[in-house]
Amino acid sequence: MGTMLQAAGLSTGELPESWNLTHPERVTAIHRRYVEAGSRVLYTNTFGANRRKSKGCGYTPTELIAGAVRCARAAADGHEIKVALDIGPIGQLLEPLGDLSFGEAYDIFREMVVAGEEAGADLVVIETMSDLYEVKAAVLAAKENSRLPVWVTMTFEASGRTFLGTTVSSMALTLTGLGVDALGFNCSLGPKELLPLVRELRAWTPLPLILKPNAGLPDPATGAYHITPEDFAAELKEALPCGVHAFGGCCGTTPDFIRAVCKALADAVPVSATPAARHGICSSVSTAELNGVRVVGERINPTGKRRFQQALREHDLDYIVRQGIEQQDAGAEILDVNVGLPGIDEAALMRETVRALQAAVDLPLQIDSSSSAAIEAGLRAYNGKAIVNSVNGKREVLDAVLPLCKKYGAAVVGLCMDENGIPDSWQGRAVIARRILNAALSCGIPKEDVVIDCLTLTVSAQQKQAFETLRAVRYVKEELGLHTTLGVSNISFGLPARETISASFLNQALYAGLDLPIINPNQAAMMDAVASFRALSGEDRDCAAYIRRFSRAPSAPASAAGPPHDMSIAEAVMRGLGGETAALTEKALTEMDELAVIDRLLIPALDLVGARYEKQEIFLPQLINAANAACEGFELIKKRIAARGGESITKGKIILATVQGDIHDIGKNIVKVVLENYGYTVLDLGRDVPPERVVETARREDVRLVGLSALMTTTVSSMAATILALRQSGHPCKIMVGGAVLTPEYAEEIGADYYAKDAKQSADIAKQVLG
Amino acid sequence: MEYRLDRIPREQTLHYLGWHGGKLPAEIEDSLSRCEALLLSAAKPRIVWKLFAYREDGSFAGTDYTPDGQDIRAFLRGCEQVVLLAATLGIETEALIRRAQTRDMGEAVMLDAAGSAAIEALCDSFCAELGKELSPCCLTERYSPGYGDYPLSEQRAIFRLLDVSRRIGVSLSDSGLMIPQKSVTALIGVSKRPIPKQRTGCEVCQLRGSCAFRKEGKHCGKT
Repeated sequence: MGTMLQAAGLSTGELPESWNLTHPERVTAIHRRYVEAGSRVLYTNTFGANRRKSKGCGYTPTELIAGAVRCARAAADGHEIKVALDIGPIGQLLEPLGDLSFGEAYDIFREMVVAGEEAGADLVVIETMSDLYEVKAAVLAAKENSRLPVWVTMTFEASGRTFLGTTVSSMALTLTGLGVDALGFNCSLGPKELLPLVRELRAWTPLPLILKPNAGLPDPATGAYHITPEDFAAELKEALPCGVHAFGGCCGTTPDFIRAVCKALADAVPVSATPAARHGICSSVSTAELNGVRVVGERINPTGKRRFQQALREHDLDYIVRQGIEQQDAGAEILDVNVGLPGIDEAALMRETVRALQAAVDLPLQIDSSSSAAIEAGLRAYNGKAIVNSVNGKREVLDAVLPLCKKYGAAVVGLCMDENGIPDSWQGRAVIARRILNAALSCGIPKEDVVIDCLTLTVSAQQKQAFETLRAVRYVKEELGLHTTLGVSNISFGLPARETISASFLNQALYAGLDLPIINPNQAAMMDAVASFRALSGEDRDCAAYIRRFSRAPSAPASAAGPPHDMSIAEAVMRGLGGETAALTEKALTEMDELAVIDRLLIPALDLVGARYEKQEIFLPQLINAANAACEGFELIKKRIAARGGESITKGKIILATVQGDIHDIGKNIVKVVLENYGYTVLDLGRDVPPERVVETARREDVRLVGLSALMTTTVSSMAATILALRQSGHPCKIMVGGAVLTPEYAEEIGADYYAKDAKQSADIAKQVLG
Repeated sequence: MEYRLDRIPREQTLHYLGWHGGKLPAEIEDSLSRCEALLLSAAKPRIVWKLFAYREDGSFAGTDYTPDGQDIRAFLRGCEQVVLLAATLGIETEALIRRAQTRDMGEAVMLDAAGSAAIEALCDSFCAELGKELSPCCLTERYSPGYGDYPLSEQRAIFRLLDVSRRIGVSLSDSGLMIPQKSVTALIGVSKRPIPKQRTGCEVCQLRGSCAFRKEGKHCGKT
């Protein structure tokens, strides 16, 4: 449409959609050419008719869309043609990599969809997307605010990923789950290059497919396309057996291309839908296919973990995220996420945790909660197709949670228990498993998305139950044909050598048909058992992964032998040796209390590092490595204090924020590491932070020192606005500022109390203000 | 046209990190090597560019675009053509650097600096090829929004002219920042006659008052 409009006289600076109102006859004329060529679906001229892209054009999105539908309708009149509301990308990247919130994206799409349905569009087409999260916002907006069918096409590179890394399987699983009516590709490449991707897509979804490629590959220098309409049509036709139901053209194509396609496909019969051959769950960039054993990491769970509970109460998302990263590194393929703790807002925390984790790990998540509000919050925030853990055989639980799984397209774990507790016999559990399966099916959740947990009971308390559980697993797997999961480590509570018996139980459960063991992937014995099982079952072809795992030279753990006798904490910190610092801290704690270790050993060590940094004897990476090493010492102390239920030690609270409009926050993050390791509690508000949020947090938490950072000349003004807002609020606090474009003079001019030229100086300021 | 990123110049990374010279500790050398390898395997370098005729009045032929500012006019004086360029390392490097900030801040700053060195190296490799392609014409250095009085807000026009978001997957925030951050937009003048060395150093830079390099009596390397 854009190219056609330019040919019709649209100038480069003009918003194409404004022509729906200023030159409707020309827009309709273009539509007519496609009608004459044989088009059966007309996309309205609304690709960029969103609030952001159309700002300043003189019309609202609603006006642009109403005009666009009128133009298309005028051309479609008298023909059997559908008018599709065309929705393109907002043009701004969503969080976490960008600065547009999911909620705002949803709202932008909602406005378009409501306008489109009111104007009389027959369906919604979301196209040219490269961000799966943005698509999710658009699909939810369409389904929650209209009754129109929804089609989605995304734009891929030949590598099989979008610019944002979304894979074909992730797109298929997520969008099939969200209940779109058809999906496929547009733009990207030519039909020939897209064919392998179409085949891949076919394997992962039973839905009708859409294919709307470019006219081949453009010349890189001129941008011109060279393929003929006939060749295009011939290449396109090859996708017919893959179940493509809708064909079209994107960049470089013209009505002649559509005419050629209509001719080539005149006698074609669409291939009807077949069930998907492959199943799984996914994040936007990685898929855990459910065709073998997939390890579910259990560590993000506060049960029985004081330090984790403390992190939840203190809203220390970084701590939680590190648990996720550690498990991913250890070989977990799915992460269970449980943030339930009495007295906290679990729904809000689930939403934030899911977002924070997805910004840092690739793995698909399992949303684990007994609160349906928390489950919905997690599912809505999630980018991909999740698992919900869990429902059970109770009617009210099934009624509350299954519709959420259906709506957001999640797989679901069903526990074999109900009002009467856990049945003692495997047969009793099988009955409940069947009940859960039937409830899921009648809710529209496919069988492949049902995972049954036959429940592991503690063998030291209920010895007969271990084998009942294994028999139930076998039945559910073989007779019901469902996926199975178990929280494996429960088996060994109260016994010595827990890993030994847990690993043994795991071996037998895997043999009985366990697909999704929920375990601690940091325990080598458990992961060894999984690796062995995969080799024995044949899942690990040629035992390649097993050989890789065990042929690595065994490396002695760094601190196993302990640090050399003569090393001081100061030296360990200076050299950035975390393990040694922790070991030396532990040793020091046998001689003095926690506070003394911090004040007399760790802080002076950091001071020494800071002084050398100022004298330019060491440079930034060394300063940070030293701070990180000291962190290992602090973490040890935190754990000890948390374990005995004591108050955590802090030298005071400091707010850090990268100001509104700015997303360069690496400098702020460096300052954070250093301040935390001086013992301050940093309330990190992140980047692109509005002034109100800084003020609100400062007052609520009674914070006496606020640090603001900005990197760009364009965003220093919002730093000034934040300082002004803080001053006007009357909240007594000192403000320090930093960032590449700031100077001491400018800091003073905008009303800051301190200018910090680097992280070291921010620690000096903190000491001066907070002690 | 060919462009490659097969090596990240170590000296440039160290320069961005503020290394003062001398013997680098072995553990830092190791970390840097690791970071460079991580970046090179994550990077998906992409470039989109276009050649425009450059008119006497400072506008690009066939468009409604005239770059804003005296300095860019002076920079392109005498050029008959101009290449508009956008390059990126791809979103994977952005994610790599962001994630490192949770995992290990020390590694994150090294990745960040090496990423800056890498995108410049990529542009250098492209420009070397461009020079051969357009030979015997001469090329100027690269000139980007934010240099001199050529404002950052000009990014919008460059994005529109090159269709940058759609072609190479870079997006522009409201305040004119590019994501992935390791991305570059630039103008390169093309002239039939040899071009005298331009003033692209500190004296024409907008950051000259606050630049961390200048505070230490150094420069960022863009001279």
